[in-house]
Amino acid sequence: MEKLSGYHGVILEIDLASGKIDKKPLSPEDARKFVGGRGLGMKILWDRLKKPGLNPLSPENPLIFMTGPFSGLPVPSASRACVVTKSPHTSPLKSKYKSASTISYANVGGFIGPEIRFAGYDGIIISGKASSPVYLMIDDDRVELREAKKFWGMKTDEFDRKLTEELGDRRFKTCYIGPAGENLVEYAAILHTAARAAGRGGTGCVMGSKNLKAIAIRGTKVPPVADHQRFISLLEEARQGFKGAALTESWRRYGTASSIVTSSDAGTQAVKNYREGTFPEADNIGGIAAEQKIWVRDLACFCCPLACKKSGAVRSGPYTGLVHDGPEYETGTMLGANLLISDLEGLMKAIYDVDDYGLDQISTGNVVGFLMEAYEKGYIDSAFLDGLDLRWGDVPTTIQLIRKIAMRDGVGDLASKGVRKLAEKIGQDSQKFAIEVKGHELAGWNVHVSTGRAVCYATANRGACHLNGSNPRAQNNTAMNDCTGLCMFAQGGFRAGLLRELLSSITGEVWTEEDYEKTGERVYNLEKAINYREGFRREDDRLPDRFFEEPLTVGPKKGAVLNRDEFLKIMDNYYKERSWDIKTSKPGLEKLKSLGLEFVLKEIGS
Amino acid sequence: MGKVKDSKLTILTLAPPVQTRREFLKSSAVGGSALLLSSLFIRKVSAQEASRPRYAMILVDYNKCTGCRTCETVCSAFNNKIKIGEEELPGLGNPYLANIRVQAFNPDVDIPVACLMCRDNPCIEACPVEPDPKTGRKALYRDEKTLTIKNDKNRCIGCQSCADACRAKRVGAIIPNPQTGNPERMCTLCDGDPQCVKYCPYGALSYVVGQIDGRHYGLSPEKIAERLTELWYYYQPAR
Repeated sequence: MEKLSGYHGVILEIDLASGKIDKKPLSPEDARKFVGGRGLGMKILWDRLKKPGLNPLSPENPLIFMTGPFSGLPVPSASRACVVTKSPHTSPLKSKYKSASTISYANVGGFIGPEIRFAGYDGIIISGKASSPVYLMIDDDRVELREAKKFWGMKTDEFDRKLTEELGDRRFKTCYIGPAGENLVEYAAILHTAARAAGRGGTGCVMGSKNLKAIAIRGTKVPPVADHQRFISLLEEARQGFKGAALTESWRRYGTASSIVTSSDAGTQAVKNYREGTFPEADNIGGIAAEQKIWVRDLACFCCPLACKKSGAVRSGPYTGLVHDGPEYETGTMLGANLLISDLEGLMKAIYDVDDYGLDQISTGNVVGFLMEAYEKGYIDSAFLDGLDLRWGDVPTTIQLIRKIAMRDGVGDLASKGVRKLAEKIGQDSQKFAIEVKGHELAGWNVHVSTGRAVCYATANRGACHLNGSNPRAQNNTAMNDCTGLCMFAQGGFRAGLLRELLSSITGEVWTEEDYEKTGERVYNLEKAINYREGFRREDDRLPDRFFEEPLTVGPKKGAVLNRDEFLKIMDNYYKERSWDIKTSKPGLEKLKSLGLEFVLKEIGS
Repeated sequence: MGKVKDSKLTILTLAPPVQTRREFLKSSAVGGSALLLSSLFIRKVSAQEASRPRYAMILVDYNKCTGCRTCETVCSAFNNKIKIGEEELPGLGNPYLANIRVQAFNPDVDIPVACLMCRDNPCIEACPVEPDPKTGRKALYRDEKTLTIKNDKNRCIGCQSCADACRAKRVGAIIPNPQTGNPERMCTLCDGDPQCVKYCPYGALSYVVGQIDGRHYGLSPEKIAERLTELWYYYQPAR
């Protein structure tokens, strides 16, 4: 087997059904073409799925933890791991397959990605289903499945401490699910350090379906690099680049929370279930308020100079004593502005509970907002909500609903399936304000004022995604970035070309600008091919009617609304630029060939 | 926060500030560097110790540490160099080999742990190897030149008493080599240019080189003021 620079060349594979543990060689060709993280994970997913329509909660659906070539090296902000699987939460409008769904990937920072590499692996593939709850313990070469019955049902904050206690060494890095994942809530997350998360797309639901409570990893190695001298000098340049940079200072002081107020001012915030783009009370939950009242510490992921994570404490009101992260932009917007919650301390409690149960913050805030609107409009009554009087801005009722969702108790059972399923059940015209694409809920950035954002959400391969990019070039760039292990927030801290040069020094392969973009494009097209094979077509790249029909009524962007014809025209151009069919969105034959994706041709009927 | 060079250790016996974090950040932003000291410095220093020469260590400002572990990687890279041809280069920074190690807790508190350079040397005290008649050194000893704790591998019996003592009495900075039992991970101060201090993106670490000032130790404020006035202003009080 050819020795690969920049990689251990080993993928750890665990079959939970048989308990079989394998160390498999990483294909050098795949590593070159798909790099790592999201890309390599997607290739492995393609290899494992074999055919469309696989039930995402069946044992065969692989749960893939992938690192990139930067992971485990002290490249600034290279802390991210990507969790790839077939989504349990998305669905096409029409398909011949009952369990059709999109690909899913979720990116998580902290220390898990680097630690996988320290243990000597480039990734972990988990398949099968354990007969009873287990957790996976990886200590370099020693890999064990351990009994986790005593932990089943435990919420993430307590479990984070208990698991570290059982492991007996703080050098172990852990990730895990909470009750939401155990109960198969479709948008359950995988948590790490009790607050970081591989949040979107239901990765925690798939983990729960495998009876896998947690993964704990510790290691003593580093991955090899090809050109040591060059790497060391580029690393020095990268570190110096962040020193005193405006980007560094801004991220450190407020993290993403700075956008809570600026986004509201720009009319781009999700407010009142996306009915509005401006939240007049945003100041109460924004970065400045949180800095004064809540935040205690700035926290950074592995080797990151930005420290955008803020942990804090609630010091007044009924939730005094609560210690947790937040608010940051998505949590503060989705559980704050979107629900008209402006009580900062109450918002902290909601954020804490969503993490503690192991739910995705974004989808949860979206689901609660949808139900608040349906209730206000009289589409549902209090009986539908098990007696809850679910009004805008009501913290205690929101908290009760969060618990119901995680436990799938009463209305929580239906709500655990997301807004698409809720709207199907509630009917009337509620799907106009069910804010999802392909069944995946939109995030905290509103759409009325921005066609770019509209394209970003409509075309995203994992269903609505605010990080997707608003044109093919941006999307390819993001996809490539997600392959390397780097955090997208830090990209701007590297001078042009530096990331490519770092990658070249690590892998020993020359990475041109063209290679970089083409690789992102390859990954994006592979994802699209999987989705297309499942039955997703152009009509799935849609947006909720709200954004075309209901102009904003408050704030500086009052009156803003999307123009449907203009949107469709931009989408036409999008498919042309992608070389995808304008009517069906099917990826073009020549494009797929030029990207080296010949292996998908037969499968999608080219 | 940069190096604080050749400051007198008597200055460092100030009590650590009792402030909330926000107040602390404000005051340190205005007043420049403020140090949080380990309680080690506050204990009484004997007259004999006071006459000893220099002292150096890494100090941690826990308020500023974000738990990013950059210190681990640069420490490991510097202290585990690799040779390429004739050139010696920093290693890749495997955190496992670092002499400084960050312990993360829930709720979020991060504690970088490194050798405290204790004046009373519980690790050396615990070393059962007879002192060398010529050098007076046990297998574990303080190197007078670098001021760091070192291990003489040729004489070390791998009994791990030093690591046990460090763990029991201090922070557990010493970790025995899993094969030989020889003590490892003692801070080297990186030849006088500690990399953790140099590269910490958050200025949470400081390099302090000090001297216990025998001339002023234990004197009354009046007496110290008189002597310093003389020293600084060449001022002779009128007789």
